[in-house]
Amino acid sequence: MMVRVSGALLRFTDYRPVITVAAPTVGAALTKLADEHLALKPVLFDREGRVRATHQIFLNGEQLNREQLTRPAGDADSVDLLLAVSGG
Amino acid sequence: MQVDTGLFTPLGLQPTAVCRLGFNAAGRWLSEHALSHRRLVAEYQTGFVLWTAQLIFDEPVRYFDSDCLEMRVMGRVRGGGTQFECEVEVDSARGITTRMRACCVPLRLDGDPALSGAPARLGSGVMEAFRPDEIEVRPHRSPAPGLLAAILRDGTELARGMTPFVIHRHQCEVADQWYWPEAVSLASGGREQLVRVESSRIPVLRLALSTPLRRLDLLFNRPFFLFDEGAVLSSAHEWQGCLVFVHELVGVEGGEPRALAIEQFTTRLSGRVWN
Repeated sequence: MMVRVSGALLRFTDYRPVITVAAPTVGAALTKLADEHLALKPVLFDREGRVRATHQIFLNGEQLNREQLTRPAGDADSVDLLLAVSGG
Repeated sequence: MQVDTGLFTPLGLQPTAVCRLGFNAAGRWLSEHALSHRRLVAEYQTGFVLWTAQLIFDEPVRYFDSDCLEMRVMGRVRGGGTQFECEVEVDSARGITTRMRACCVPLRLDGDPALSGAPARLGSGVMEAFRPDEIEVRPHRSPAPGLLAAILRDGTELARGMTPFVIHRHQCEVADQWYWPEAVSLASGGREQLVRVESSRIPVLRLALSTPLRRLDLLFNRPFFLFDEGAVLSSAHEWQGCLVFVHELVGVEGGEPRALAIEQFTTRLSGRVWN
């Protein structure tokens, strides 16, 4: 699947806006993405390994909550990762 | 504060400059009266995002009026800790000429390097840093929505246009989120482009280039970020006899505007004769 990263998160993926990730679910794709881009890991996940609630995750345009990250996703699917607001 | 030519247009102090300098002055006030913004972020996991602002230009301040400007700031917590508001007065040798009121929403930061956060009341540790006379129970209410409704209801639309943009890093703050005064820059660019395109057909629009801004109202719904694409949807109106511009800053996703800017100009349109 394609994972699209934008805005304030770009600097944690070496400014790559679209990254292809092979994984069975959305959650697994995010984990793999963070493993491949170590700077992204503490941004995306909290200390308990959960996706931070301050990020918005969309699968093919549909917003998912953290419980829905087990949704399967394949090559034709697109995940968008957005930071809602920053306090800088 | 020493002035320089870059702060001015031929008409007076740039609105963007007032926003930037005013926000900087507010940060200094916070640092001197309570806690610095840096300490709030680093030690109290507290950030701020601008929600609404209003600038009133009583008198144009021109570059040759004075060597220096003085900025006076008053800050206060409002709405039981759900808002931080600052009022800035810009004083030149001619007296108080410009006023800005800006209201921010505090964020509880999640502790990650992206400074991500969610709206939350100021914590008790932060509240304790303010004096009782710096805490106001009533929340600030933005005049922008009511003003927009009145313009659309009672005004006459003269022209409209669209100006696309991309947010670049020089338009952002430390977390690659747009710096809010950029909304003013983008809105004024949208107005100028609208005037360039439509003024041969509607000459009165040229007043928006030749007369000073009287009042600017801003409302922020959602931020733009680095490389976000958007457009300024600008419309010119005659309202209460004056020239007014409404700018909606929208993202490519459509939907509700991420920000709103309303510019009111000093000159009255009624009875003007144009060749």
